[in-house]
Amino acid sequence: MAAERPVPKILLAEDDGDDRTFFVEFLGNRPDISLLPIVANGVEMLQYLNAVSTEAERPDIIVLDQNMPKLTGKETLAALKQDGKNSEIPVIVYTTYAGHQLIEECVRLGAAMVMVKPDSREGYNQMMDEILLTCQG
Amino acid sequence: MSMNPAKTYDQLLAENARLLIQLEEATGTIEAIRTGQVDALVVEGANGLELYTLTTADQAYRVFIETMNEGAVTLNEAGLILYCNSAFAALVGLPLSNVMGLSFETFIATGGTEIYRELMTKGWLQTWKAEVLIQATHGTVPCQLSVTALELYEGVALSLILTDLSLQKQTQAQLKQNNERLADMNAALETSNYDLQQFASVASHDLQEPLRKILIYSNLLKDQHGREFPAGQGRYLDKIIGSSTRMKTIITDVLSYSRLSFHDSTRTITNLRVLVSEVLDDFELLIWEKKAVVTLGDLPELEVNPGQIRQVFQNLISNALKFSKPGQPPSINIECTSGPEAEAEPQATPSAVYCWITITDNGIGFDEQYTEKVFSLFHRLNTKDAYEGSGIGLAFAKRIIDKHGGTIGATSQEGVGSKFKIKLPLYQTTSN
Repeated sequence: MAAERPVPKILLAEDDGDDRTFFVEFLGNRPDISLLPIVANGVEMLQYLNAVSTEAERPDIIVLDQNMPKLTGKETLAALKQDGKNSEIPVIVYTTYAGHQLIEECVRLGAAMVMVKPDSREGYNQMMDEILLTCQG
Repeated sequence: MSMNPAKTYDQLLAENARLLIQLEEATGTIEAIRTGQVDALVVEGANGLELYTLTTADQAYRVFIETMNEGAVTLNEAGLILYCNSAFAALVGLPLSNVMGLSFETFIATGGTEIYRELMTKGWLQTWKAEVLIQATHGTVPCQLSVTALELYEGVALSLILTDLSLQKQTQAQLKQNNERLADMNAALETSNYDLQQFASVASHDLQEPLRKILIYSNLLKDQHGREFPAGQGRYLDKIIGSSTRMKTIITDVLSYSRLSFHDSTRTITNLRVLVSEVLDDFELLIWEKKAVVTLGDLPELEVNPGQIRQVFQNLISNALKFSKPGQPPSINIECTSGPEAEAEPQATPSAVYCWITITDNGIGFDEQYTEKVFSLFHRLNTKDAYEGSGIGLAFAKRIIDKHGGTIGATSQEGVGSKFKIKLPLYQTTSN
């Protein structure tokens, strides 16, 4: 049996309290991922990444809410992709309504996926399944 | 004067010869005059040479000029009116006799002096046309002037033909006004459409967000505490979840409907039979559950937007399956009943070739007095508890078909079944 791969660490930037609750509530018990402390917006995301020193704190996958104050998900994505070593981390943007224009722009900026915010436990888990498949498969 | 008493025979003969020649000349002249070869005579009269013009020679032309609709005027070098016809007199609003002898400049409206100068100089040299404002007693009249010099009577005169442009100008102004109104309406419509689409977009986002949370929390409540509710009250939560889910569907449908005009209208030649069989594949499970029998005939290839037409068939087939008679397996038939053929039009362009596709079912049917309502937005003929759905499906389908330049209609009999008939053109024109 091959040595177990360490589970991917997920870092979420989400300004809405309820949505933060849902993320943890529905995905917190999954054995195949580990959730890093959620940051409240894009600015905090960038600050966090520039401050981390250990590998254990560095995310393997980043999820960004689109509608955030200060820096939108798309803007944070653009900043991340210019950010040296951090630009290699796969980024997923999720949003309530994924219009064509947003999808095109995010993909153009280098997002790994653009997804619709799920509205059920199953939905959240399905979303995470797809994310893992895309980023690791 | 007394005559010579006696002429010699020779004198009489000579006189006779002279008279004969005179007679010959005179006869010839009269003949020439009568046949119109001559317009004027120069005669040695008592006071020297006299010129006689023949009024009968140009009688036909005079009648012609008198009766024509255009104004005709003849001017001398000084610009005085030598002659004018009744049409001109009527144009300027004066009796004929008052016009003769006046200077033509009298009838040039203020500001037209330049034109008049040009007229009086260039017109003598060559044929000349211009638009001039003519001063009549009742106001000004825009006219097209055609000027040329003619040889007439005692010399050269300037001949003018005037065409009244009033009606033409009026029509032009009307046309311009209409075009401007049309352009304004177009712009307003575009703005309105854009605003509406923006509104639909924003409203949908803003509505979807809280709705999503209602759904999630309701489900969480149900999952974690559903069993704790006293008997019967657990269904309150189901009602909340049900209504919220329906609301979510409506918002999504409304957004799709409103985005129809702005989304891509890329059209390609599509094999409808393949498209419909793909749709039927999606319904495989439902068809198996209901033991439905679906027959698909040969369908033509049409230039359509595949995604949109797919949705049309999805809606129609979904309805046919949904509105089946309780206890009776649905029987659905999809076929092309006629065409491709041109409609009975004298000039059939390629885009005028149509085909008709029908979807027939043996379901519950509907009262035909509601046929028009069936295709309107959100209208439902059955209570929402009996059959799920937002009621937008047929309105959506109709909008798509309309945008493809086709039509959709339905016939039905309650308790027997329904038949939906779609007419689509083979090819799209750019206007659709």
